Amino acid sequence: MLRHFAISSLIVGLALSVGARTRPHYGGSLRVEIEGDPWRSPDGIARRMVLDGLTALDAEGKVIPDLAADWQSDNNDHHWQFHLRPSVHFQDGSPLTSAAVVMSLNLSCTQNCPWTAVHAVDNSVVFVSDSPTPNLPALLAQDAFLIALTRTAEGQSPANLIGTGPFQFAAFNRDVLTLAANDSCWQGRPFLDQIVLIQNRSVRDQWLDLSVDRADVVEVPPQQIRQAQQQRLTVVVSPPVELLAIKASDSGTLANPMLRAAVAQAVDRGALFNVIFQKQGEITAGLLPQSLTGYAFLFSPDRDVNKANELRGGLAPAPLLLAADGDPTMQLVAQRIALNLHEAGFNVQLAKMRNSPRADLTLLKLPIVGSNAADALAILLRGAGENAPVTTQDPAALFRAEHDVLDLKTLIPLLDLPRAWAVGSRVRDLRLRADGTPDLAGVSLEGAQ
Amino acid sequence: MKHLWLMAATIGLATVSAHAASSPVSSPVSSPWEQPAAALVDQVAAILGPGHVNLTVRNLSSIPADQVPLIRRLLVQDLKSHGLTAAGADSANSIRVTLSESATKRLWVAEMSEGNQTQVAMVDLGPIQAQHSAAAAGLTLLSQQLFVANQPVVAILEMPEGMMALEPEQIVLYSHMANGWQEQKRMNIAQQRQSARDPRGALLGHADGSNFDAWLPGVHCTGSLSPDPSSGGSNFDCRESDDPWAVTQLSPQLTAPADGASEMNGTAAPIRAFYNASRNYFTGVLAPNDGPGLPPFYSAALISRPAGSAALLLGGVDGKVQLVENGALKPVAGTRDWGSDFAALQSGCGPATQIIASGSGEAAIDSLRAYEMPALEAVSTSPPLAMDGTVTALSPAPDGKSVIAVVRNAVNEYEVDRVTALCN
Repeated sequence: MLRHFAISSLIVGLALSVGARTRPHYGGSLRVEIEGDPWRSPDGIARRMVLDGLTALDAEGKVIPDLAADWQSDNNDHHWQFHLRPSVHFQDGSPLTSAAVVMSLNLSCTQNCPWTAVHAVDNSVVFVSDSPTPNLPALLAQDAFLIALTRTAEGQSPANLIGTGPFQFAAFNRDVLTLAANDSCWQGRPFLDQIVLIQNRSVRDQWLDLSVDRADVVEVPPQQIRQAQQQRLTVVVSPPVELLAIKASDSGTLANPMLRAAVAQAVDRGALFNVIFQKQGEITAGLLPQSLTGYAFLFSPDRDVNKANELRGGLAPAPLLLAADGDPTMQLVAQRIALNLHEAGFNVQLAKMRNSPRADLTLLKLPIVGSNAADALAILLRGAGENAPVTTQDPAALFRAEHDVLDLKTLIPLLDLPRAWAVGSRVRDLRLRADGTPDLAGVSLEGAQ
Repeated sequence: MKHLWLMAATIGLATVSAHAASSPVSSPVSSPWEQPAAALVDQVAAILGPGHVNLTVRNLSSIPADQVPLIRRLLVQDLKSHGLTAAGADSANSIRVTLSESATKRLWVAEMSEGNQTQVAMVDLGPIQAQHSAAAAGLTLLSQQLFVANQPVVAILEMPEGMMALEPEQIVLYSHMANGWQEQKRMNIAQQRQSARDPRGALLGHADGSNFDAWLPGVHCTGSLSPDPSSGGSNFDCRESDDPWAVTQLSPQLTAPADGASEMNGTAAPIRAFYNASRNYFTGVLAPNDGPGLPPFYSAALISRPAGSAALLLGGVDGKVQLVENGALKPVAGTRDWGSDFAALQSGCGPATQIIASGSGEAAIDSLRAYEMPALEAVSTSPPLAMDGTVTALSPAPDGKSVIAVVRNAVNEYEVDRVTALCN
């Protein structure tokens, strides 16, 4: 079923505040609990609090200046120059220089970078690439390219992550990470004095802590959004920010494109949506959501087992290896897909992703970020391991580009998924970033002193 | 079924306003859908050529359902003019037109099926215009957008020569031109200061209409506007300063309150208060400080009282609204729904001063509402006026007949609106 977003619902979804009765108060300690690692790339919640990028995406996904005040491209987008914002300092007091930015980028991107070379030129950073990179400003807003100090004034590698963001590392002890306000942050001191991040906490325990005011912000996985709402938690839900998809290998057993097409026809997206994800998110067969393009309905998500059998052509292919990460929900999805494929004549073995680098099928989540469909497509394809510049803003040409990728059947979209968080009653002005993570720099606490 | 995309050209069209889209259209000639329908059919005809087609139209957009038959009629007419006749389902060719949209713009898509092949054509209708509902009955607040700035606007001062906007690092002059308020000049405030998450500032116009004061945390600027913007517009000097800011404007209509203000050439001198430069509020210390001890506060407004005197209304950091009157601090009831910003308005709708207060609701959909305060209770006199974002500053216009609101929208732009009251 097609779901479309009105502008207003998109904005409300992005920026829900709780009881904004006065201007934000300074002070207080916010307690955040998560299941995973707060430093995890690409969406670790702590990374964006400590680090900034050359560019950023605003709440609606538009590319905006961050550490770079402005930029320009030449030579048909082969050459980009980003001018650094003046008077910005790292959290240890050392100045942000173009050399420091280049060192950080070279360290964070060692292969498959969207540039061929990056240089420091005066107070600017210059990117040169062999092929046009029209989406570079949007790509640089991604988590992978956040800027960290790589060498202290003494020439040492910093013991902890040091950036220019609103919070700085204070302590880490037994799954408890403490971040303190960066008083000299170039964007202004955050309202909170500190954030206490509890990692490796089960969702059940997170909700329990929230209910007794021992936590202020906790996770709500997409499949539990309805349950959280039924429990009357205050839930902030993003628009779709992740594409759940199958990446099919174009070598080995699935080198035959007809077999990959058969796999795509055999998948029952409706069952994933209804059963596993409890009707959260959106069923899709397109790479970008309808809310971004307006044409996603052209890609039919319907299952057709007969067609799948027909495409398989009576072949009895070797067993397929389907890899998914260890997350229980992803494992459930993998099991369900294995069942679907079995009904279409495929034998499937399941494996956890880290043990299966040569899997025939890999279940993965790809980022859907940005309000610009071309940038969003480029970022999504990069997440799938392809550097594919998308130059056009024309819907028909974008449809064509998307169609061409999907026609290869190496990426099989399944569902567009939101991110969601439950917040306590004293939390104010919690907004979600374009990637669905909470922007805690603007959060304040009711009654803080 | 395989999709082809031959001839899927996109045609950018003039924006179709939501108002027009939702209005009954009596004649196809005046329809806003005429142009996109023709553009889509041009593409379809180029692909299919003359013949019979089975046309279906479905609506996946926010276009009102009663518009769909009209759009279908337009499509049929345009198809006919290209030699394509809409016929039954037994036609060899079928066209399915989908009226679609993304979150920001409308898109019409035609899928043309010929045998087992499908070709696609699209027309981009441009941005969807937000629709604003009509105002409710009673005293009604009206908002008129003056201009939009990319940088935070922390204070606005309307002067005879134009509008002055105070930004954290610049003073910007706007002039009213034939096409609305236009930026004329940006002037840097040289003083280096720490950025703030909730930036604030104040502007004060002098009685002569050209001199002004500007305050930012830790900075005080004084200057004057030139009558001719092309000759430079303004001269001003800034210096580091912890001097108190003016929290009210000159008020010729009011007599001075006993607390903190003094007579000056027949007008009430502005009340000044010390600002906590490392936070976002006033400390509660006025200058001169001969009144009662005040709590830290976010906002202040001078209002007239029924007895003809004036009193100072304070919006406290603790969310409480209090009145400084006759040397005493009095709590004001009925302000539970108030946000932190308010300004006084002499609308002429009744003898009392109206207070325009921001709402205490969600940040993304803030509102303004008018109140009167016959005693020590605020009574609402208008329905809420929805704003496009969070109200970050409110100040009275020099004539007191309107207030200027600064609204931070969802994409962190700062809209400057004039808000007036309509007497019903």
